[in-house]
Amino acid sequence: MENKIIRGWFNFFIVSAAIVFGNSCNSGNSVTEHKGYDKDALESVLAAADTLITFPFVQQRVDKIKDALQQKKPVLLYADSASGKQKLAESVALNDSVFTQFLFDPATHLPFRNEIFGIHQARESDMAGIKLAYNLADCYRVEMYNYALNNTSVAIVDAGTQRVLNRFYFSQSQPDLPPSLVAMANKIAMESPEVEKALGFKPDEKKLLAQYYKTSLNQTRCERSRHLCVAPTFLLGEKTLWAIVDLTDYRLVGVRWIYSGKTGPAAPLISERKLQDDKITACFCEQEQKLARNGWEMKYMLTSSDGLRINNVLYNGKPVLRNAKLVDVHVNYSGSDGFGYSDAVGCPFFSQAAVLAWEPPKIVDLLDDAEQKIGFVLEQTFRSEGWPTPCSYNYRQRYEFYNDGRFRITAASLGRGCSSTATYRPVFRIAFADDHSNFYEWKNSNWMQWKKEQWQLQGPATMFTPEGFQYRIDGAKGSYFMEPGKGQFKDGGRGDYAYVYVSKHDNARDEGESDLVTIGPCCNADYRQGPEKFIEPDAEDIQNASLIVWYVAQLRNDDRKGNEYCWAENVLNSKGVYETKIFPCFCGPMFIPAKK
Amino acid sequence: MRLLFLTITLLIVSSFFVSCNEEVEFQSNDCKKLPSFVRAVGFNPARSAFSTSEKKTMGLVLIELQNQGEPRRYQHPSWKAAGWMGPIQLDQFGNCFVGPVPVVNVYNNPTAKQNMLYRVDSESGIMSVFAELPVSDSVTVQNPYGILGLAYLCETNTLYASSVMGSDRTHERGVVYALDASTGEVIDKITGIDILGMGISYAPGKRTLYMGSARTSDIYAITLNKKGEFSGKRKVVLSLLNLGPRGDDKVRRFRFTQFGGMQIYGVEFNFNLTAPTEKQETVYEFNWDDAEMKWQFVK
Repeated sequence: MENKIIRGWFNFFIVSAAIVFGNSCNSGNSVTEHKGYDKDALESVLAAADTLITFPFVQQRVDKIKDALQQKKPVLLYADSASGKQKLAESVALNDSVFTQFLFDPATHLPFRNEIFGIHQARESDMAGIKLAYNLADCYRVEMYNYALNNTSVAIVDAGTQRVLNRFYFSQSQPDLPPSLVAMANKIAMESPEVEKALGFKPDEKKLLAQYYKTSLNQTRCERSRHLCVAPTFLLGEKTLWAIVDLTDYRLVGVRWIYSGKTGPAAPLISERKLQDDKITACFCEQEQKLARNGWEMKYMLTSSDGLRINNVLYNGKPVLRNAKLVDVHVNYSGSDGFGYSDAVGCPFFSQAAVLAWEPPKIVDLLDDAEQKIGFVLEQTFRSEGWPTPCSYNYRQRYEFYNDGRFRITAASLGRGCSSTATYRPVFRIAFADDHSNFYEWKNSNWMQWKKEQWQLQGPATMFTPEGFQYRIDGAKGSYFMEPGKGQFKDGGRGDYAYVYVSKHDNARDEGESDLVTIGPCCNADYRQGPEKFIEPDAEDIQNASLIVWYVAQLRNDDRKGNEYCWAENVLNSKGVYETKIFPCFCGPMFIPAKK
Repeated sequence: MRLLFLTITLLIVSSFFVSCNEEVEFQSNDCKKLPSFVRAVGFNPARSAFSTSEKKTMGLVLIELQNQGEPRRYQHPSWKAAGWMGPIQLDQFGNCFVGPVPVVNVYNNPTAKQNMLYRVDSESGIMSVFAELPVSDSVTVQNPYGILGLAYLCETNTLYASSVMGSDRTHERGVVYALDASTGEVIDKITGIDILGMGISYAPGKRTLYMGSARTSDIYAITLNKKGEFSGKRKVVLSLLNLGPRGDDKVRRFRFTQFGGMQIYGVEFNFNLTAPTEKQETVYEFNWDDAEMKWQFVK
C-alpha cells in the first residue's frame, strides 16, 4: 500500500485538527514540602495557535492593516478621538525621518506594521534636554508601536510651531494601549469560547475586573512570542480569570483562574510562559494520559529528558510496543572541531531538558492524498526561547498511527542552530512488547537473522526488499517490517542514513526503560552515539528475546536558498510582522505489520 | 547554565582586582587576594579573570584581556576534570573555589558528583577536590544540579556553599553549608532550602548572608555570628516577584557597593538545562534605608 500520509510539511497545517488539549488534561535533614499543582493550573486552557478562531471584527482590523501597509507612510493612524492639534502633532511626527526610521525592513524594504498608540499632552518631564523654546500647551508626546520589532518610537512635537523637538525609541517595549485596542482585547476575550466555557457564561464588560492589564512588568505578557499581549481579567468572587490576548495575531493565548482572595501576599502575574509551563507540567509531566483511537490504545507523557514517551501501545488489543521515546539529539558542527551539543528534550520544570515543551501534545488526523482520514498523529514540539534566532533550537517529535496497523516514529529539527554546518543525530529508543522476538536483516534476497546484539549503518550498499523494507521483527504475537527513511515519506525528509542498533531488554537491569541521562556526546561522527553502550563489549544473544531497537538518523542541515533543511527563518508577512518559515528534516522508520 | 553563573560577569571584568571587588560585597568583606600562580603562567593579573562560561572550553579558564583581538586563555589540565563549572569564589589567600554546574546536558557532569567543591591552589594553580558535600539520597534525574552558589566571609575565613541536590518539584531538600575555608570542615548548615545566588553585607549593621531562592523570587537574610555560623532564623526580606521583564526572576548573584547599595542579578531559573544563551539577565538595584531599616527598590 502506498504511503499516503501527510504530504509535505506545509500541508500539515490544513490537516483537520482534533486538538485534544483544552479544558482538561486530555488534550502536575529537613525537607520543605510544596504542594502539587492546584485545580486551576490543571484546568487552565492553552489555545492552539494553529486553530485560530477569527472574528468578523478582527477581519475588519486586518483589512485596515493591509490598507495601511500599502501607503507611502505605512502607519496605522491614531484610531481614537483626537483634537485638531493632536492630529497635527501626529502628522508632524510622521514627517520626521528619525521618528519613522523603523517603518521598513532595511533588508527587504517591506513595511513593518506600525501604529500610533498615543498622542498625549506633553508634560514637563517629557521636555528634559530640549533647548528650543516651546509652549508646553502646544506640545504632544506621540507614541508609535512597531509590532514586528516590538519597539516604541516617541516624538515630542510642538504642534504650534509644527516642529519635532525630540525623538527617541525603546527596544522591546510597548506604549500604553489606545482605547480602541483595549476594547478589541476585551472583545476577543469575551467572544472566545474558552473564556465562556471557563466562566460558565458569556461575559460582558460589567464582569471585566479592569479594562486591561498590559503589564506591571514593563513588558508584554507574551515574553516568549514577543508579541503585544494584554490580559483582560474577569472577577468572580475571590477568583480571577486571566485571559491572555495576543494583539499582534489577534487571538486568545489561553486562560487560567487565579485565587485572588481579599488580602494576602502578591500572586504572580500570569504570562504566556507561566500559563504554558504550569499547564504542561501539571497535565503532561506529572500525569500519564490515556489515548484510544482508530484501534490503537496507549499511554503517553512528557519526560524529564526523553521527549514524549508512549507506553503500552496496543493495536486491536494486541501489544505492539512497550514504549518508545526520543532519548537525545546530538548536534555536531563540522566547521568547528568537536563543537556541538547533546540536547535533551522534555519538561519545563525540574528536568534535564535543554529544549522544552511549550505547548501540550497534539493529536491530529492523518490524511491521505485524497484527504481521507487514514490514522492519527500524536505530536509534540520542543523549542528554545528566541527561536529561530541563531543558536536556538526547535525539535518536533511525531508518532503516526495508521488505521491499518502501520506506525511510524519520527522527529525533526526545525533549525536553526548555531550554523549551517550542523549534523543532527536524533536517538530513538523503541522497545517492542513481545518478549520472544527475533530480528532479521534483508540481505542477498533473504532474511538473515541477527543472533547477537549489533549495529549497522544504512548506506549506499544497504539492501532493501522490493517494498523498501530493510529489517523484520518477528514476535510470537505479531511481526513487523521496518522501513527506514529514504526520502519516500513525503514529509520533506531526504533520507536518514541511520545507525540501527538492537539490544536485549532485561527486566533485571535498566537500559533506558526509565528516563535516560545523556547517553552520547555531541560530536562523534561514527556509530558511538550512545546505544553501543548497551551492546558492547559483550554482545548478548538476541534470539527469542525482548528487543530494543535504537535508531539514530543523521541529518545534515542546509541554509542555501531553495535547499533549506533542518532550518528556519523569519520572514516579514503581508501583515507587517514576522512569521517563521520552517524547513523541517523529518526522519524515522515506518513499521508495517507483516503476515507470517 | 553558562550564562546563569558566569557569562558576562566573569568575562567582562578586567582584572583580578576588579573581579575580587565584584565578589566582595561590602567594604568590610573586601579581602580577596589574587592567586599567585597567575604571574607564574605569564598572565598579567591586572587584566585577567577566571571564567567558567567559555562556549567551547569545558571547566575553569583563565582569561587575559588584550588591547585588541581575542583574549589569551590558559587552562591547567586539572581544571576540566570536574566537567562544566559554575560559581567561582576567591578567598583572602588567593585560592579559588569552584563548583560544578552542568551545561545543556549531564554528559560531563554526572548528577551524583555535583556536590563536590573544588579549590584551585593559589600557589600551584592545581585544582583538586576541596570538600565532598553530602550526597542526597534523593538524587533524581529531574534535578541535574548540586552546588549552585558560593559566598565568602573574610572576617572568619568561612565559605558558604548552597546545594539543591535531591530537590524535586514538591520537595525542597537543598542545604546551605558554612565551611571552614582552610579545612573544608562543615561548621554549620541550613537545611530544607534551595538557594541559587548568595552574598554578604554589613549594611544592616551586622554580618548578613543574603540568599536568593532557586524556586521563587524571594530573598532570604540570615545573620552570621563572629565564628561565621548561622545565627537566628532566616527570613524573607525582599522579593523580585512581579519586577523586571519576566516577573519571576531568581537571584543569580548579589553585588554590594561600599555605599550601602545592593545590585541583584536576576535570571530565569527552573531547574532545567536550557541553554544559557537563551537567558536574559536583569540587574535590580536596591539601597539600604537606615531610617526604615530595610532595602528600598531603586530600579
